[in-house]
Amino acid sequence: MNLRSSIRAGFLSGFINLFVVLLGLTTLLGGLIQGWFDLSSGVAGAWFLILGIAFWGGTAAARSVIDKRWSSISSSGLFAGVAHGFIMGTSVMGLRGLVDHGVEVRKWLVQLTPSAVDALSVGSTPFVCGVIMFAIIAGASIAGALISFAAEKYEWGASVRGFFSSARDRMMAWPTTQRISSHERFQPALIGISIVLLLLAPLGLGRYWNYTLGTVGIYVILGLGLNIVVGYAGLLDLGYVAFFAIGAYTVALLTAPMPHAIEMSFWPVVIIGVVIAAISGVLLGIPVLRMRGDYLAIVTLAFGEIIRILSRSEVLADFAGGPRGIRAVAGPRLFGLNLSSGMHFMYLIFLGIVLVVFITNRLKHSRVGRAWAAMREDEDVAEAMGIHTLRYKLLAFAIGAAFAGLSGVIFASRNKFTGPEDFTLMVSINVLCLVIIGGMGSTPGVIAGALVLKGLPEILRELDDYRMLVFGALLVLMMIVRPEGIWPSARRKMELHEELGHHSD
Amino acid sequence: MTGAALARPKFRITSGFLIRLFIGIVVLLYVGWRLYNVLVVEQVYGLDSWARFAISGVILGAVYAVIALGYTLVYGILFMINFAHGDVMMLGAFAGYFTLETLNGSGFLNRNLVSSVVSIVAAFAVGMVVSTVLAILLERIAYRPLRRAPRLVPLISAIGASLFLQNVAQLVFGPARHTYANPEVMKRNIGWSLMLGDGEVLITYTGVFTFVLSVLLMIGLYVLVQRTKMGTAMRAVAEDKEAAALMGVDVDRTIGNTFAISGALAGAAGVMWGLHMGIVYHFVGFVPGLKAFVAAVLGGIGNIPGAMLGGLALGIMEALGPAALGIPFQLKDVLAFSILVLVLVFRPTGLLGEVLAEKRA
Repeated sequence: MNLRSSIRAGFLSGFINLFVVLLGLTTLLGGLIQGWFDLSSGVAGAWFLILGIAFWGGTAAARSVIDKRWSSISSSGLFAGVAHGFIMGTSVMGLRGLVDHGVEVRKWLVQLTPSAVDALSVGSTPFVCGVIMFAIIAGASIAGALISFAAEKYEWGASVRGFFSSARDRMMAWPTTQRISSHERFQPALIGISIVLLLLAPLGLGRYWNYTLGTVGIYVILGLGLNIVVGYAGLLDLGYVAFFAIGAYTVALLTAPMPHAIEMSFWPVVIIGVVIAAISGVLLGIPVLRMRGDYLAIVTLAFGEIIRILSRSEVLADFAGGPRGIRAVAGPRLFGLNLSSGMHFMYLIFLGIVLVVFITNRLKHSRVGRAWAAMREDEDVAEAMGIHTLRYKLLAFAIGAAFAGLSGVIFASRNKFTGPEDFTLMVSINVLCLVIIGGMGSTPGVIAGALVLKGLPEILRELDDYRMLVFGALLVLMMIVRPEGIWPSARRKMELHEELGHHSD
Repeated sequence: MTGAALARPKFRITSGFLIRLFIGIVVLLYVGWRLYNVLVVEQVYGLDSWARFAISGVILGAVYAVIALGYTLVYGILFMINFAHGDVMMLGAFAGYFTLETLNGSGFLNRNLVSSVVSIVAAFAVGMVVSTVLAILLERIAYRPLRRAPRLVPLISAIGASLFLQNVAQLVFGPARHTYANPEVMKRNIGWSLMLGDGEVLITYTGVFTFVLSVLLMIGLYVLVQRTKMGTAMRAVAEDKEAAALMGVDVDRTIGNTFAISGALAGAAGVMWGLHMGIVYHFVGFVPGLKAFVAAVLGGIGNIPGAMLGGLALGIMEALGPAALGIPFQLKDVLAFSILVLVLVFRPTGLLGEVLAEKRA
């Protein structure tokens, strides 16, 4: 049994390693490490990841061993290493051979550029390259097995953890820390300080950061709106971008000079955009909200695509600008001042977020919020208790749409432009991801989700290609491991863990 | 919805009925007006054009039907939309592409008629095996741990899986569009030509092949589900998982088999798509996947002949619709999705759908 589970761990980690190489993650990390440490080549970084995965494979194999002895641990590491090394070694041998024969591998597998293959192959002939890869991986795997076993046996982990926790204890034990944190005004003061910092921040951030954080803020508003639909009312809306588009197009059509020359000022259009988005939410909701669950997801997805295709098509080109979009969308003006710099929009977005958070909070603790919770947990029971479910679903849809409309208005006005390519399905998916990963039904969760999912990729531009891949994997992983999200609302957490216990459907 | 309708003894005018009536009248008036305009007033298209649209619609519909069969199978047994089904098809199409490329590179593809046939069979075999393995893995990793969770949870997991597979394909194979290497005897632009009216209509070999193969697949699937022990187990699990388990059916294995079959169908559909349409890239499965879902709903989800009928109906409507209504062809997706909304508003059980309890529908 020792043999089988070890070989299985080896094959599994070997496939993961090969997969990571094919995805180009190895090369990416190599490049990043090269940049950070100012190395002459990316080879070291590439090998770092490969060896890391081999090492991990060894620890996984060691974990499956039942009789914990040095000999059995090292043999299990060896078996895993042989399996792992076999996969990687033959792959490298094959790749090297193909490249040496002049086959252009990157025509089919784009990440395997000649330099990437060179980085993987140490040795002169394909065979030597494969053998060296095999030997190195087997070594890393054995090392992984032995080191993880030693760590477990001699409790290294515990001592490391002990060091950090005692440091925290010592810090908390300092008289000043204790006095400050136990003071009754501690929390209000903390909130006050953060609000003041947030209000002052846009002044000193500069163009780039105001723009980036503004985008995050727009997604926070979107996320909070979708949170009402998905998190509170339990309706999966995959076409949420449609309402965002409706808000953006409203402001563009009413303020831009080009297709219609209405050229209204910004402020009344905000209200109009929000109202139109809410009305379209109701109009979509009336026919589709009678359906349950997963049909709703597909129909809303279809609706989002319909809006995008229509806005791009020639049919509406005269009315809505067609594929080229609408330029020169007006920004806000107040008392004759032009308020359309990134900093001003940052304040506008703050205002929007505060408003949306306020409305969300009031709704959550009202009769409406309780009706949503009841409906989400069991629709039939909620109906039996006298809740008019369709009406509350429509309300959730309308409010969610209104928030999306608001953020659409701000978005188009900030970019001074709107066009069909701003409203792809990926926007809906992004918003859904940040709501789910942050925590359905939880306002701080959504804000954290937007910061992590929208802010991090803006900063780490190199990782942008991998963003959607990671989102997809995260969605699956979160659903399996932690369906309530990173920062869950207490009620949602309770619901999901109770339902996982006894739910038959 | 239908359960309530059955329980209601006499007809009453409800708000839902009025909304449906209103939508129905508006749609009928619009369609009637456009049809009159195009067919009687303007007469833009001759007989040959209509025949061309109809043929391409039937072939497209056949591919939709094969994909829709996979949706229907999984939905019938788990009541879950396997959102990643279209992406399984896409990877099957890629597997077929690589097989044909390899055979083309070695010169085997066009050596003689037999080797061409063998190449196509090999492409289908590889595509179907890859998709089957993928579908099984998908079920194991992304769906099986969530079988007892609320319904939203596996659906989100499926969306995540779809996103993941698409991006894996984009990163590994690149964002470029790859052209399928068809053997000479089955080039995409050769076939039988027909004279109709004053135009020539081409019926391509790939088109006929696609249609015949999809009909064979459907018959095979029908026999498998109705006549074999595995099919009986699948139907039993679809009816009631607990009772089936008590009767000695291995529920996990049966669900795994269902995914395997749906994966094999997706792989076949992918290679068919590649041979007929000629182009594969990472996004190629997404829109056909959605359309096939529409087809499955149109025919009645969970119903095998329904999926076939729905697929053909959708393909034909999509090909004829823009011409018949006189709208630009780039709006054909809008047409397909509008059909979905209309079906769900007027007949949520689909054309051949059985009356499902409200919980399931």
